[in-house]
Amino acid sequence: MSEEQQNIASFFAAKPGGNVPQHADPSHTLYLPPSSTQVVVQTKDLVKRFGDKTVLKGINLTVRRGETLVIMGTSGCGKSTLLRCLLGAHRPEEGAVELFGKELGPLSNKDMDSVRKRFGILFQSGALFSSMTVGENVALPLKEHTDLSQDMIDLMVKVKLELVGLREAEDLLPSQISGGMAKRAGLARAIALDPELLFYDEPTSGLDPIMTGIIDGLIMDLARTMNVTSIVVTHDLKSAFRVADRMVVLNEGRVVAEGMPHEIRGHPDPFVRRFIQGPIDAKTAVHPRG
Amino acid sequence: MVLVSQLLGSLGRLAVIFVEEVGQTGLLARKTTGQIVRMKSEPVAVQMIRFGIRAIPIVSLVNLFVGMIVAVSMSELLRQLGVLNWTSRIVAVSITRELAPLMTAIVMCGFAGAAIAAEIGTMNVNEEILALEVGAMSPVRLLVMPRLLGVCLMMMCLTLVGMVMGMFGGYIVGTGLLDIGSHNYLEGNNEAVRWSDIPKGLIKAFAFGMIITLVACRQGFKATGGALGVGKSTTSAVVISICLIIFANLCFAVLFNWTLAGP
Repeated sequence: MSEEQQNIASFFAAKPGGNVPQHADPSHTLYLPPSSTQVVVQTKDLVKRFGDKTVLKGINLTVRRGETLVIMGTSGCGKSTLLRCLLGAHRPEEGAVELFGKELGPLSNKDMDSVRKRFGILFQSGALFSSMTVGENVALPLKEHTDLSQDMIDLMVKVKLELVGLREAEDLLPSQISGGMAKRAGLARAIALDPELLFYDEPTSGLDPIMTGIIDGLIMDLARTMNVTSIVVTHDLKSAFRVADRMVVLNEGRVVAEGMPHEIRGHPDPFVRRFIQGPIDAKTAVHPRG
Repeated sequence: MVLVSQLLGSLGRLAVIFVEEVGQTGLLARKTTGQIVRMKSEPVAVQMIRFGIRAIPIVSLVNLFVGMIVAVSMSELLRQLGVLNWTSRIVAVSITRELAPLMTAIVMCGFAGAAIAAEIGTMNVNEEILALEVGAMSPVRLLVMPRLLGVCLMMMCLTLVGMVMGMFGGYIVGTGLLDIGSHNYLEGNNEAVRWSDIPKGLIKAFAFGMIITLVACRQGFKATGGALGVGKSTTSAVVISICLIIFANLCFAVLFNWTLAGP
């Protein structure tokens, strides 16, 4: 069996539940602690400023192989900035980001690209290339980073789209599909190169509860069947508690709580309690420190 | 006095911004040429069709009218001087040396430059550029390089079309309105056109194509803030391109007519 065929076979083998996400049931909250202790992502005293404004104020995070870490927080707390620092899109003013044991700061463009090939990202909007069909979007990383033949790429595209339940949308343009389909197509593109690490930026924002359950199911499926390490940035609490192995709560650029989902639910910090339970009235929502 | 200092301050700021933009565009040019070895032909062909073939009607029309305008404008002066037959020579020289490359470039600023700036700007706002970057795929190679080569190559073809159409415009006016005989007109036209003018015009066209594409891509990459930002980047792309093209045309005029001109 050739390397290409083995690659394809591993995908079919890794997909036990057809195109229906195995854990799409919203009631599924089983916590499986990650077995590995290998650190995949680490930040050390991360500080990021934009002009005079300090957005991240000394973030320390550690994510281990196979783990799903959810980063939560209110709008403007620094979640997206932290995500972009982890992706290497923003360079921090202080501190360091390490992916797969390599510090991103000193890396050359070539070395940075080799790190980037090992992770995938699902953007909030899907960020599909609007001039390409869904299938071409998924095929692009394969064309760019592998030596696979066109036939094999076509087959891989079908496998990835099948994995997210989008086989029928292969020839459609991003403008012809719904928001939920765009997110699933974005996820298919993110997993095109079998990444070890997946970032999700607000994966369920703007989706109806059924589609949210499907996306959550896909995140859990990928983590469990492909042993993908996942970092999910969200403020959708229901979704966060469903997919998380561990959670981090940010407030004003600082980590205010970190722990297992049940620890976060019972966390004593007033902000975390307010964030989890929701504000008591409109006044506390507008003036959370009041 | 305060007003003057404010005016000078504003002009200074504009000059700094302009110089910075030109510098950033130059850096983009350097990055782009560094990617030329990994270029694929299919995306270039797509851009050539998109910005070249489809621009033929508008470029032809504009240059036809420009040739006619030159012929009409010069005819009265030439009639007074008693050399109306020279209309063909003046049209031929002005079209091949200056007007066809310049007018084609200005048309392409709107046709290709605005489209490229808006397209890349929208991709930037929609995080598509970020998706390419974090996917270890070079936006310069995938987006800038095919557009740059496509527009530059088609600018040369379109300029040739523009030259022919401009001279044809002069021919229509000369033979139809100025009563110059067809044979006389063509003879004057052919005598005036030097073969060395054609490659000079094509070199200019290639350079103008580079300016149009690189400025448009640079403005697209810096677009932020949704539709408003995309609109601003598109306007900037067209304005900066036209300024740079006219400045570059001046440089070429000095180079070709004074510096490289024979004794």
